[in-house]
Amino acid sequence: MNRRASRAFAHAMAASLAASTAAAQSWRTLDVARQLKDSSAASVQIVYGTGKIGVRATSNPLLYHMQLRYDATRALPRHAFDTTARKLQIGVQKSDVRFTGRSEREDAHLQLELSRSAPLDLDMDLGAVESDLDLTGLRVSRLRVESGASDGKLRFDSLNAARMSMLEISLGAASFRGDRLANANARDIRVDAGVGNVELDMGGEWTQDIELRVDVTLGVVTIHVPSDVGVRVSLQKTLASFDHESLVERDGAWVSRNWDSAPHKLRVTAKTVFGKLAIDRTGR
Amino acid sequence: MRTAILPLILAVAAGPLTGRQAAAIQQRPGAEKVPAAESAGKAVTPARAIEAQDSGKVHLSKAAVDSLTELVSRFRRDPEAAPLPPTDQIAMGGRSIPAGTEVAGPIAVAGGPLHVFGTVNGDAIAVGSDVIVHPGARITGNAVSALGTVTLLGGTVNGEIRQLAGALGAVPQASEVVESPARSTRHALALTSSWLIILVLMAIGVLLFAGDYLDGVVDSLEGRFGRSFWAGIATQLALAPVLALLIVALAVTILGILLIPFAIVAFVLAVAGLITLGFLAIARITGESVAPTASKRYSARGAALRALVVGVSIYMGLWVLASAFAWAPIVETVLRGIAVAITWVATTAGLGAAVLSRGGTRRSLPAAPLAAVNDIPWQTPTPVTGVVAARRPTPSSSTKR
Repeated sequence: MNRRASRAFAHAMAASLAASTAAAQSWRTLDVARQLKDSSAASVQIVYGTGKIGVRATSNPLLYHMQLRYDATRALPRHAFDTTARKLQIGVQKSDVRFTGRSEREDAHLQLELSRSAPLDLDMDLGAVESDLDLTGLRVSRLRVESGASDGKLRFDSLNAARMSMLEISLGAASFRGDRLANANARDIRVDAGVGNVELDMGGEWTQDIELRVDVTLGVVTIHVPSDVGVRVSLQKTLASFDHESLVERDGAWVSRNWDSAPHKLRVTAKTVFGKLAIDRTGR
Repeated sequence: MRTAILPLILAVAAGPLTGRQAAAIQQRPGAEKVPAAESAGKAVTPARAIEAQDSGKVHLSKAAVDSLTELVSRFRRDPEAAPLPPTDQIAMGGRSIPAGTEVAGPIAVAGGPLHVFGTVNGDAIAVGSDVIVHPGARITGNAVSALGTVTLLGGTVNGEIRQLAGALGAVPQASEVVESPARSTRHALALTSSWLIILVLMAIGVLLFAGDYLDGVVDSLEGRFGRSFWAGIATQLALAPVLALLIVALAVTILGILLIPFAIVAFVLAVAGLITLGFLAIARITGESVAPTASKRYSARGAALRALVVGVSIYMGLWVLASAFAWAPIVETVLRGIAVAITWVATTAGLGAAVLSRGGTRRSLPAAPLAAVNDIPWQTPTPVTGVVAARRPTPSSSTKR
């Protein structure tokens, strides 16, 4: 190749490279927060379609603080607080899913911190996400989590300061793990799963009896119950198995031997088709 | 930890906000920052007192002002931007709102910090710099920083505290967005290499389970390449009308209407099968001609497989080569165009041959062989039978003589 040809080739390469890098960037980071004025109750609606999401308590005097990394061509951030109704809508308004071969889950993320002092009514509408919901330290009066295809964790490491009226988890095709759910301070817990693996650890501080309703179509549900808590399981199953070691049958249900004497009781109403329900009382 | 920390920054270096000092702050924007978790919850005493008085104008070069004006213009187009005042009302280089004063917002700065000691009735916005809310300050609207931070040193913000980072400006259309050159190259290479592997696997499958049909198409292609090519073009042109006719014909009866979806699927599968068979046939011929098999090293099937793999690799190699230049769009476009053209010609000829040979079931008739020349009658004028013919000379007899 003579010098002129080399130069022409180099120019063509440079022009090509410039053309490819001149296109607009699409990844952005949005950081929004609001100062805490008082500790009145607030309702929080979180919508997030694709990526990783984390929720936890903040120690700063803020009502909320969101860090969102998103592709602006696919997602539109959502952050609106109605000061009169004290309703916060946060997350991503739209989220186009494209199969580009890129690991979008590693790129897009939402980290939300919420006030420890305001009682919160939390409503989470999650799509195909990897979620880590550490609600330790928050005052949650109601929690509803609806998730599509996801890998989710929910954790209460300390007792919820507010009494929760309802803890409702609805999963599509998902792997879900709830840790120390007795600390949620909820009398009524509902778990509705389509296909997936659900693990519920009912450890924590028991302040009341708990009703747990589980409905799983196809999957494995494992419920870990502390050994000092009485368990009663009413099961409706179709082509499903029930691992009831240490439970005895009484009045059409399966109960633990300490059912009558236990200070706190867990009543499980389970419905499963092509699934498996296991009760683990090893006291984890 | 990606803690969520609103990175509140204590602008310790900020002195009295004269133009010179503001410029000095601007030169050291990251100096002595402390994380938000430490500064947000408690009152923080700045290391040096900041004079709560309005600053003079900061003198910036024309180039700096032009650059900041462009940044402001981009920020205006950003969907997360707060409404800005006209550009001539934006303080280039920074501004301070003194204690005890109350100004109507929005107040905006660019390229220098916005120190708020008094009250801003509206939004406080900094483009390419920070908003610093000092003790006793009050912002009734939002505190917004683009490409900077919002620092709370004890004041109050009634609205939202917002920080934007990364790309700034209007959201590009999806079509305008491209991957990074290295990433798009890797992606393109992975895609074409996957196709190469898939085609090689298909070739092996066809050779194992439909080798005779492939041979039929190869025969047709070898004997009538030109005719196959034109038949391929005719087939491509006829695909849509034939499908339409098929649907119309089925729609005549109720049972036929029910069969339409199945017929469409069957039609598509049949066409895809013919195209694949034709492409593999031409790949085999190409492979045989480019890398002829050494005489007795391979069995017939082995030689066919070798030719197929070589042929498929040649055709897909063009695509892989084009993908390798995904980082250079112009070169990639040229190479891809060449690959498209060559692949189209090959596929069209292959499709035509597949159609002409009825999917390889009808082989083209070999040309009638020439009648074997029986040389014996030439050596005798009389019929051979029953007559002693002249002895044919052989090398041994010649030697004896």
